[in-house]
This record gives sequence, structure tokens and C-alpha cells, in this order.
Amino acid sequence: MSIFKKFEAAAQARAELTGEGPSAIATPIDEVRSATRGVIDGQEVLLAGTNNYMGLTFDPDVIRASQDALARSGSGTTGSRMANGSYDGHSALERELADAFGWPAAIVFSTGYQANLGSLSGLASEGDYLFVDADSHASIYDGCRLSRAQTVVFRHNDPENLDRRLERLGEKASHAVVVVEGLYSMLGDQPPLEEFVEVKKKHGAWLVVDEAHSFGVFGERGLGLSEQAGVLDDVDFVVGTFSKSLAGIGGFCVSRHRELELLRLASRPYIFTASPSPAVIAGTRIALGKIVNGQKRRHQLHRNIDRLYAGARDLGYRLGSDTPGPVAAIILPDRATALAHWNGLLETGVYANLMIPPATPAGLNLLRISMSAAHTDDDVDRILEGLTRLASDLGSPGLAQVG
Amino acid sequence: MISTRERVDAAIGQGLINALPELENPDRDAVLTSDIGLDSVQIMNLVMEIEDELDISIPVDVLSETRTLNQLAERLTRMIDGNETT
Repeated sequence: MSIFKKFEAAAQARAELTGEGPSAIATPIDEVRSATRGVIDGQEVLLAGTNNYMGLTFDPDVIRASQDALARSGSGTTGSRMANGSYDGHSALERELADAFGWPAAIVFSTGYQANLGSLSGLASEGDYLFVDADSHASIYDGCRLSRAQTVVFRHNDPENLDRRLERLGEKASHAVVVVEGLYSMLGDQPPLEEFVEVKKKHGAWLVVDEAHSFGVFGERGLGLSEQAGVLDDVDFVVGTFSKSLAGIGGFCVSRHRELELLRLASRPYIFTASPSPAVIAGTRIALGKIVNGQKRRHQLHRNIDRLYAGARDLGYRLGSDTPGPVAAIILPDRATALAHWNGLLETGVYANLMIPPATPAGLNLLRISMSAAHTDDDVDRILEGLTRLASDLGSPGLAQVG
Repeated sequence: MISTRERVDAAIGQGLINALPELENPDRDAVLTSDIGLDSVQIMNLVMEIEDELDISIPVDVLSETRTLNQLAERLTRMIDGNETT
């Protein structure tokens, strides 16, 4: 049994999080009824922890396109894009993604995790450098590990720290790939993208922006923070996922550099995995169109975001980001308090996420709420009513010290 | 003139004060994870402070090879003296 001994601490931590009610980690959702409703522990709850930012998972057009493709092309591709798994839908989606950005190249991956793994390990190899933000998602760190490039971590959202590091690299900075995210999913905070672009240009480095949580949400056409910040012309690669705003599963990398195509010959996470199923691809294509033309949905999403942020702040809660975004992370002083908040909110019929170290930055314990364009004004009222009850039952969290 | 190792040891000391003040002079031969109980985020914050002190970037693979502060100090000393810093 000794090979399992290393899991003891994690198993102990999980046991401590499991009380009488449903588990806060890997919470079993018995039934999903819509983009915003599900059943947990026999009770219908409002879903506010799903990354379903554009609320498209139950969109009738998305579902119909998936159903048609399922009937027409079968349930799976049974192979890699390199072998028998390249269907017309895959290439069409790649063209549509590239066109949305006005760029020449796009590659579809089978998951968002693999999009980072495949892009970063393909783009940077021996003799190259990867500079990644300290708060990067695990898929970015794992992409670095798979790559043979030298990986260096810079301070979170700190362009000056990156600047110093690239300065030391001198001329070799032209072999440096800088990776930032459009929205950091734990605290819900955004990078100073314009400043990162300036640093990247100054040193002749390459810039990857992972828009996993910001695609669909920001920008007139929903292309992400790069669009909203007006820096798309200076971004080299955008990585994203189908599993949030695009309401499916899969991932992508798009680029202004036509040579991105060459990654198909070298990227192991692209080559050695089966391609996404026809149903997923067909649904994603429809969702993409709805995102690019989704100004009305985005308007509702941002209305929800602004109301939630303002309401939570009025209640004295401290949030992980000063700038409102689709993730509102309430910072709580310790794990027990965070768990009590998670349970308390679920009791009022609202499902959110409990996030604890080491998944979170700076050892923070978070109650993470994610907003959807499918949430109505009444839904946001209900979430705020839940938070109001927690604030009165559990004390004034805003005054608590972070431990 | 102080040696590279002395400079590295001092930087680690200052890094500990800045990033993990609660640790108060930890055993530098103790394993950072299992003995001292640091998680990956805490170790990364410590490394960032040490990087600032020494004005170098420490590649991630260097960290995966080192389990104790003294191992880190040895590795950084070799890195700096061998002029292989990033």
C-alpha cells in the first residue's frame, strides 16, 4: 500500500471538508435543469458556480446543431487529427475562430487543458524560454513542464518584474514566450495587459494570452480582454477553451502568425489524442457565432456582474478583485469560515464554489461566485439575499483579517 | 570579499523574513514540503523573494531538483558562479 501513502494529507483534508451535507469538493450535482438551475442533495438550487458565463449550455440552436451532428456523423471520431479524426467540422471551426480574430491560423484541441499543454509545449522548446505569471492555471504550468524550454515565474500581474527578468536575458529575449491570463479564475482579477504588451514589445518577446475565463465576456465581439484593452494587434497567440462561454468541451489556439499551423506536426497533446466529437464541434460553432454577435447577452452578464459586486461590497465582503468581472471571489479569514459560508449559501438554495489552498493564491480561502448571462435580475437578488443572510448569521467578514 | 555562497545564504535569510516571517530560522537541511510543511505556493513566494534579493531568475526545473534550503543554496551558488543565470 506504500505508493498510496503520499495521498494521506490530501485525503485527510478532504475528509475534514465533508460534513453531513453534500461535499464542498466535487459536489455531486444530481440533475442539471438549465444553465442556472440544478438539483443538489434533493433540492433545486440556483447555479452560481459553473463558469457558464454566456449561459449557452441549454441554447436550443446549440443543442439542435449538436443533435444533428450526432445523428449525421456519429458519436465519436475514434482517432487523432493526425490520423482518421479530421472531419469537415474541425477545419470549419478552426477557420471560424481564425476569422473571428481576423488572423490566419487556429488549432482546435480536445480540452482547454490540452490547449495550453499543446500550445506552450509546441511553441517553446529547448533553447527557448517561458515566462509565466505566478498565479497561472495548472495547465500553463504543466505545459511548461512538457516543454523543454527553461521556465521562469514572474510576480503576479507585475509587468515591471517581467521587464527586469527579460532585461537580464538580453538578446535571448527574442526566444522568450510570455504567458498571461485574461482573467485569473481564483480571485477574478485581470492583468494590466497594455503594460505587459509594452514590456513584450520592448524586449522583442512573444505574448500568449489565455482567455479561458475572459472569452465571450469582454470586448465588443466577446474576443476577450485583449479585444477590450485594444491590444489584439500586439498579441501573438490567444488560447481559449470551449468549456466555459462556448458551452462545450475542447480548446483552441489562434494566432496572427500563419506558422502556428506547424504545431500540428510537433505538439504531442494535439497529435496523441482523439479529436473532439462531431456533436461538440457542431455545438461550439453555433455558440461561437452567438458569442461574436452576443452584445445583448453580454449586456445582461455585465449588469449581473456590476450588481453582484456592488451588493457584496455593500454587505462588507472583501473581494479578490477591485475590477468587477464574471468571477466574484469573497475572501474569508480561514477554511472553517469559508466552508460555513459555502454550506450556508447552499442552504439558501444557491450553489457557489469553495476554493482553498493550494489551489488558491496567497493561501486564501474563497467563496467563489460566477455570473452568467442566463442569470435574471431575480437570480442576482436571490444570491444577494443569501449573502445578506450569511453576513448576519456569520458576522462581519469584511472586518476579518486574512490568515 | 564575501563569497557567492555567503551572499546566497544571506538572500535566503532575507527571503524567509519577507515571505515566511512565521518560520523563525528554519533548519536549512529540513525538507521544505514534508518536514517544514510548506505548500507549492508558499515555496514559490519564498523563491520570488530570493530572486529579488539576488537579482536573478531561478528556472522552475532548478526548484524541482532541490528539496532543502541548503540544496537550493548550493544550486544557486553553482548557477551564479557558472554564469548560467537567466
